[in-house]
Amino acid sequence: MIYDDQFGSPQRRKALTAVVLVIFGVLILRLYQLQLLYHGELDKKSEENSVRALIREPIRGYMFDRNGKLIVDVGPSYSITLAPFEFDKATFPMLSSLLKIDSLTLEERIARARTYSPFLPSRIRRDVDIRTLALIEEHLPVLRGISYEIESKRVYPTAVHASHLFGYRREISDAQLAQLSEYYRQGDLVGIAGLEARYESLLRGKKGYEFVSVNARGQIIGSFEDGKRDVTPREGSDLLLSIDIGLQAFAESLMTHGNYGGAIVAMDPTNGGILALVSKPDFDPSVLSGVTPAELWSQLQNDPAKPLFNRASLTRYPPGSTFKMVLAAAALQEGVIDENYRIRCTGGFRFGDRVFKDLHVHGSVNIVEAIQRSCNVFFYQLILKVGFDKWTEYGHRFGFGQATGTDTGEETTGLLPSAAYYDTRYGKGKWTQGFLVSLAIGQGELGVSPLQMARYAAALANGGTLVQPHAVQFIRNKSTNKIEEVPHTSSAVGLSPHVMALIREGMQRVVHAPGGTGGLARIPGVISGGKTGTAENPHGEDHAWYVGFAPFESPKIAVAVMLENSGFGGAKAAPVAGLLMEKYLYGQLRRNLPRPAPAKLDTTRVITQAVH
Amino acid sequence: MFEYFKEYFDYKGFLICLVLVGIGLLSVNSATFDVGAAAAFDKQIIWAGIGFVCMLVAAFFPIRALQRIAFPVYIAMLAVLLVVLVVGKSISGSRSWFGLGGFGGQPSEFAKVATIIAMAAFLARTTTSLSNVKHLLIAIGFAVAPMVLVLAQPDLGTTVVFFAMLLPVMYWAGASNSVLAAIIAPILAAAGALLGTLTFLVTLVLAGALLYFTRQNRFAAAVAFALTLAIALSVQAVYERLPAYQQKRISTFLNPELDPKGAGYNVMQSKVAIGSGGFLGKGYRQGTQTQLNFIPEQWTDFIFCVLGEEFGFLGASIVLTMFAALLLHGIRVASLSKNKFASVAAIGITSLFTIHVLINIGMSMGLLPVIGIPLPFLSYGGSALIANMVMVGLLMNFYANRKEH
Repeated sequence: MIYDDQFGSPQRRKALTAVVLVIFGVLILRLYQLQLLYHGELDKKSEENSVRALIREPIRGYMFDRNGKLIVDVGPSYSITLAPFEFDKATFPMLSSLLKIDSLTLEERIARARTYSPFLPSRIRRDVDIRTLALIEEHLPVLRGISYEIESKRVYPTAVHASHLFGYRREISDAQLAQLSEYYRQGDLVGIAGLEARYESLLRGKKGYEFVSVNARGQIIGSFEDGKRDVTPREGSDLLLSIDIGLQAFAESLMTHGNYGGAIVAMDPTNGGILALVSKPDFDPSVLSGVTPAELWSQLQNDPAKPLFNRASLTRYPPGSTFKMVLAAAALQEGVIDENYRIRCTGGFRFGDRVFKDLHVHGSVNIVEAIQRSCNVFFYQLILKVGFDKWTEYGHRFGFGQATGTDTGEETTGLLPSAAYYDTRYGKGKWTQGFLVSLAIGQGELGVSPLQMARYAAALANGGTLVQPHAVQFIRNKSTNKIEEVPHTSSAVGLSPHVMALIREGMQRVVHAPGGTGGLARIPGVISGGKTGTAENPHGEDHAWYVGFAPFESPKIAVAVMLENSGFGGAKAAPVAGLLMEKYLYGQLRRNLPRPAPAKLDTTRVITQAVH
Repeated sequence: MFEYFKEYFDYKGFLICLVLVGIGLLSVNSATFDVGAAAAFDKQIIWAGIGFVCMLVAAFFPIRALQRIAFPVYIAMLAVLLVVLVVGKSISGSRSWFGLGGFGGQPSEFAKVATIIAMAAFLARTTTSLSNVKHLLIAIGFAVAPMVLVLAQPDLGTTVVFFAMLLPVMYWAGASNSVLAAIIAPILAAAGALLGTLTFLVTLVLAGALLYFTRQNRFAAAVAFALTLAIALSVQAVYERLPAYQQKRISTFLNPELDPKGAGYNVMQSKVAIGSGGFLGKGYRQGTQTQLNFIPEQWTDFIFCVLGEEFGFLGASIVLTMFAALLLHGIRVASLSKNKFASVAAIGITSLFTIHVLINIGMSMGLLPVIGIPLPFLSYGGSALIANMVMVGLLMNFYANRKEH
């Protein structure tokens, strides 16, 4: 009989129990053998067996200007790293003196490295000079756990600053690191302003790793597994900019020459490509390219002149009379008036019990002449005819009160007041039509950035297309060597050709007709259009504005110039804009620079302090 | 009060399971921390939660109903394994994954449970007699069908598991020594065939002797020997067709030291990791071997190294003891059960755990070849964790109903 029913018999239970006990006996014995008998030998092996992953930093992407000129370069920078687990405390004084770091700071950095990871190397000194590097290398056999890495730091081969445009990098903050720990580690530089920040993920490339075996004394004894696990770093992508570096340099010199604080934005009106972007006071970006000493950083941050602040896209000043074309567009396009509509300017406008003044008595003016001569009275009464809502709508159509979508760094949306805004701010019925009268001439709570104004100028130049401002036209991927165009959006302002022609005629007369306010923007041999503006400033002298474009028929450049605390737009901003456009159109100036204005604001102060 | 609770709630199995899962989570966390795989830990916590719910469901599932659905579930599992073969995702050279909305599932883990239940249900039928050759072959067939499908994936580890659990289950169900010999003989010869001609001949002689001394019928013994020979030769033929990485795993097992950076690498590193742990271990998250990621993806099959290195002999032997206690408890549940289905199933579950623990820890310590099977409750992997927790739930169920026929 094959089947003898021993199902669940006590003998079989005992046999199975015995099997389990034998198995576990063997496993425990083996565990005992490995962990207690062979412990010494295997522990030694484990120590000998250390593998260190040396991070190979990729080369950061370059930046080229619109003519292919290299304007943001990279150079080598050496950082000393420390792996806390392997570090020998006995070598602490030696390390401190070699690196010229006081023992307190060094201790703090090692503690930070340990909290990041006891096993992975962290940077303890960035951007050391070649001499220090040579000394460290000489002592590597003694300095356990110490190593060095090569990274790229920025080098700026041209004399331009373009500090706010290029931006800069700083060591990643703990808060950022907590979010981005997949790629970054402590001490990594990360773009925090300008193009460096906006294109960080493309510029940085991808880190590589080299695995090396290290012996018990921390010396590298060779590559690990013949480098089979190594990962080569991937170079960062290059940015091909729309910037004209010659124009950028000239724009910066114009500001320095006149000792102006403020901003200049020049743009290709056909596509929104930024030709030059200046914000003054600025700083030399190379002082932030490697390691930034804490004193220098706090000096830059606490400087009352605010050199780190990007005036081109973050300031929010009233645009003054440069905004009058918005109201003109609303009135003409909505059919509230036509070109034959005239009023008589008596030099003032009574509204309620208040009199709004004009600079001159302009007599009988129509819309074109009102733009040409910047007649306030014309626009005071016009906004009451057009109404608040239409004015806000056309302001919005020209891109005000909203982000431009620029890639050049942080920007403000500005403030485009609306009835709803005043209702929430002051309460329903608590504000009067008198508020409108100020808005008509671009004063009051209206706030715009120079970048928004440049886009506005571009829309008036190109016949009514609102472009997306941008500095990066193409991106060159170094792995595939393909150049990709960066797509940009645009939208129509929605003005009829006739309305557009009337407004543009007014702007041309601003520059070229007798009695125009922008005669100083005239470019020899070129017809251009523009508008001056003076923003009332309750805290000091007025801010000067000029927006314009040239040549008049097929514009190649649109500009916005804003000079802080320097007075009338027609006197100060218009000549700067004229010279800038001339330089761009001819490649050089056809006249001598006007005499510099007396020094008011020392824009070079920050730079000299930073260098010395 | 506690007496009543003890009577109907298997707190031993329950607690051991939870503590092992907890230790597993700690180890997975340590192994994945710092090497960019921390998401594995978060997932494992979710799996443990799902497993806990499934465990409770299994613990309170009516045994009669379980017996009734055993065959349909088993057939469905076979179908799923077949589908996996055709459309499954390939993970490290083996098509064993089933992609479902972003989460992969490993049906072979659940197939193990389904097979145990179906075999137990078959063996527990009053009409089933192991003296009937047809019934015997059907019983073996329950294990062989999924085994073949899993082998075709190809997943060597799981195949071995299916085969190895057959023996204790038949043994417990009451098969005679000659029947057991007929099962052992081919396994022995097949294993010998994989290790070379000489070992093949030696094991063939051993198999023959085993059959001869337990014979009850000369003809049957002769047939069994012929089958043994056939199976051993075909296993060898299959071995030739195995992917190189699995062939290498088997062949370098014999002497891993010869090739420390090749296929024997994992075993060497694993031994170094465990050995360097010493008596007390290097401390949680302080293991250099673990933290420097010497052993690739050790949170899956090599999780025991983390234990050994970071918690030392003390920690690792506590874990071993807990496993032993769970297995002895499983045998106890089997012998207390008045219901044959529950009793045989309990042994099936217990032997499944035993094989996993033995092979996994054995390979981590260089005692057995590296065939990738997870350590129950501890290794990273959702399907295995849920399946294992379900099986503990079943043991709890069998314990609570041990007095029912």
